[in-house]
Amino acid sequence: MRKKIFKGMLLISLITLLVSAVVITVVQYSIFSKDMEKELKAEAEFIGAGVEAMGQEYLESLELTSDRRVTWINSDGSVIFDTAADTEAMEDHADREEFIEALEKGEGHAERKSETLSRRTVYYAKLLDDGTVIRVSNIRGTPQMAMLNTVVPVVAVLVGVLILSIVLSSAISDRITRPINLIDLNSPSLDRGYEELEPLVGKINRQNKMIESQIEDMSRQRQEFMTITENMVEGFLVIDNKMELLTYNRAALSLLGASEPGKNVSVLTLNRKEEFISAVEEALDGCHTIKNMENSGICCQIIANPVYNSDKLSGAVIVIMDVTEKERLDSMRREFTSNVSHELRTPLTSIFGMSELIMSGTVPEKDVLDFAKSIHDETGRMIQLVNDILRLSQLDENKNNYQTEQVDLNALGRVVAERLKLTAGDRGIDISVTGEPVEVNGVYTILEELVYNLCDNAIKYNIDGGKVVIDTGVKDGQPYVSVEDTGIGIPKEHLSRVFERFYRVDKSHSKKIGGTGLGLSIVKHAAAFHGAKVSVQSTVGKGTKMTVTF
Amino acid sequence: MRLKFDEQLETLNVELIKMGALCEEAISMALKSLSESDPSLIEKVFTTDGEIDRKEREIEALCMRLLLQQQPVARDLRQISSALKMISDMERIGDQASDIAEISTYLMGTDVEKQTKIEKMAAEAIKMVTESIDSYVKHDIELARKVIEYDDVVDNYFIEIKREIVELIAKGETNGEDSIDLLMIAKYLERIGDHATNIAEWVEYSITGVHKDEGDQEKRD
Repeated sequence: MRKKIFKGMLLISLITLLVSAVVITVVQYSIFSKDMEKELKAEAEFIGAGVEAMGQEYLESLELTSDRRVTWINSDGSVIFDTAADTEAMEDHADREEFIEALEKGEGHAERKSETLSRRTVYYAKLLDDGTVIRVSNIRGTPQMAMLNTVVPVVAVLVGVLILSIVLSSAISDRITRPINLIDLNSPSLDRGYEELEPLVGKINRQNKMIESQIEDMSRQRQEFMTITENMVEGFLVIDNKMELLTYNRAALSLLGASEPGKNVSVLTLNRKEEFISAVEEALDGCHTIKNMENSGICCQIIANPVYNSDKLSGAVIVIMDVTEKERLDSMRREFTSNVSHELRTPLTSIFGMSELIMSGTVPEKDVLDFAKSIHDETGRMIQLVNDILRLSQLDENKNNYQTEQVDLNALGRVVAERLKLTAGDRGIDISVTGEPVEVNGVYTILEELVYNLCDNAIKYNIDGGKVVIDTGVKDGQPYVSVEDTGIGIPKEHLSRVFERFYRVDKSHSKKIGGTGLGLSIVKHAAAFHGAKVSVQSTVGKGTKMTVTF
Repeated sequence: MRLKFDEQLETLNVELIKMGALCEEAISMALKSLSESDPSLIEKVFTTDGEIDRKEREIEALCMRLLLQQQPVARDLRQISSALKMISDMERIGDQASDIAEISTYLMGTDVEKQTKIEKMAAEAIKMVTESIDSYVKHDIELARKVIEYDDVVDNYFIEIKREIVELIAKGETNGEDSIDLLMIAKYLERIGDHATNIAEWVEYSITGVHKDEGDQEKRD
């Protein structure tokens, strides 16, 4: 802007200067020419008078400046005398314009490029009384010459103008531009500005507002997105087609076991397990991929999807889910199924074998009864097993169709003890109930089963002539029932697993002891049904104490 | 032009991570084969070793191309030159993993490895490899230094296992062949630890521009 103003000013000054120089020169020149003509006329008259009076002598006595010339011409055109050139060498002047004019009108003038002096010369001729003509001439510069003479001052003025325009234009452009520079682009107002800028300022204002609201929108959307992804339990990653990480959430980092990544890093810096790398690569090859991966105890499912942007693969979205629990349940279920089949097959095989023997008729009469008893026992075991499994699945489903009531744990203990007295008595085991009556809200049948199973185990794994004590009461404000025995105890490494279905500490002797291996599992589920906890204290060879705290 | 260079550097980075992952896999499979005696695992170790060798050549070619075409300087140059050194260490780790897998076929059916601390040593060696590659991935100089210091732990394990084997032979609880094989495995693990240390040193170099050996030299001078 300043440059433009400066250039404009300079141009204007230059044009003005040149035009005025030309005009002044022309005007001056014409005034000067007229003046000179008058002067020449006066001089010619004066010299004419002198020549008439004194003749050639006068002319010879004249002292003239170098640009003046006086010629005395005869009426026939021959030169009588000339102050500047040799008379003899001079040509005839009869054809000269001013001479002819003077002969006719008494005076004449002309202006031409003198042939003799080859300059622009102004002539004035006057007819004298004796018929001769006196002619005075003066050399003068051409208009171009005159112009040339003015060049130096013009240039001087030009330089002056240049300096002036620099100073002025800088000051003026400063003044002009200052209000524009002063406009605050963030919130433009027209307090001191030009009204011509009004549309511009208005537009900036509107656009500022638009940008602001757009930024606000974007940050809100981003915030929403962040909130959503951060609250996701699943890991979430977005990568571009060069594997660079674009977005991630905290869950992804923790599932992949990675720390906070830097900027513009490859997604492989988060994890470089084979499954992860291949999932990422396959997604970037355009395939939807699902992979399972184990990463420091966590089992992850990686779902990688390619992302297309107008037919071009632009990256991938990776979702990571924690499937540890699912995997664990799956393996538990598989284990359970195989256990159940195994447990069912064992009695079935012996039933099958014995019945086959009886059918073939090879069994002596007296042994048939024994066989029948065995078949009866095995069938009983199977029924027990199926019942236990049913009970477990009922407890698993946690149905609400049970009637809850206030149950006195102490009284319950006595009932169970009474039921088991006979079994215990067979092995000389003394079963007793101590403690105070304490009531809990629960389902009587399930609670009975719980205590029964505990006592049953306590008797099974007891030594002959041992003791079983059922104790009830309140400890730390919580009702509890515990069953303590003086049996073989549970080794430490098995403690955490005894509640698993079909788990046996001593697998080789399970047949002798009997039972389905589901007893403690039922206890655990029954306790869980009532929101109670089962704890075990056990010393190998001394006994076990199982406590259910409500 | 620069953009392309940055892209190529990123590719180098990704390829190095992949190669590191392959190394980790090879070594952990090799050591699993030692305790599980699973022939299919041993086969897998060999294929992984082959892949590692291929990756090495690929990365080498990439580095050469980068050096020739882009003429990198300063940090970029360091990154590329240390990548070149790192891949040869990684390749050696892969070789040693397959060596261990090979020996483990001879040890199948014996439980001589259970009588020594070799499994603990293996766990430490794997940890060193994992951490050295982690330090590269995360540009974590502290982790790299930790790995360098950790080399002594693995070295001490080697000495300890050697003593254990000597004791076993003295007591006549093992035959000579098994114990020599076991000692070889221990030695390989010790070498793997050294290679992991080398990797960590190159990581340190690529970040700081000073290689550990140079630093020591300067300190001595």
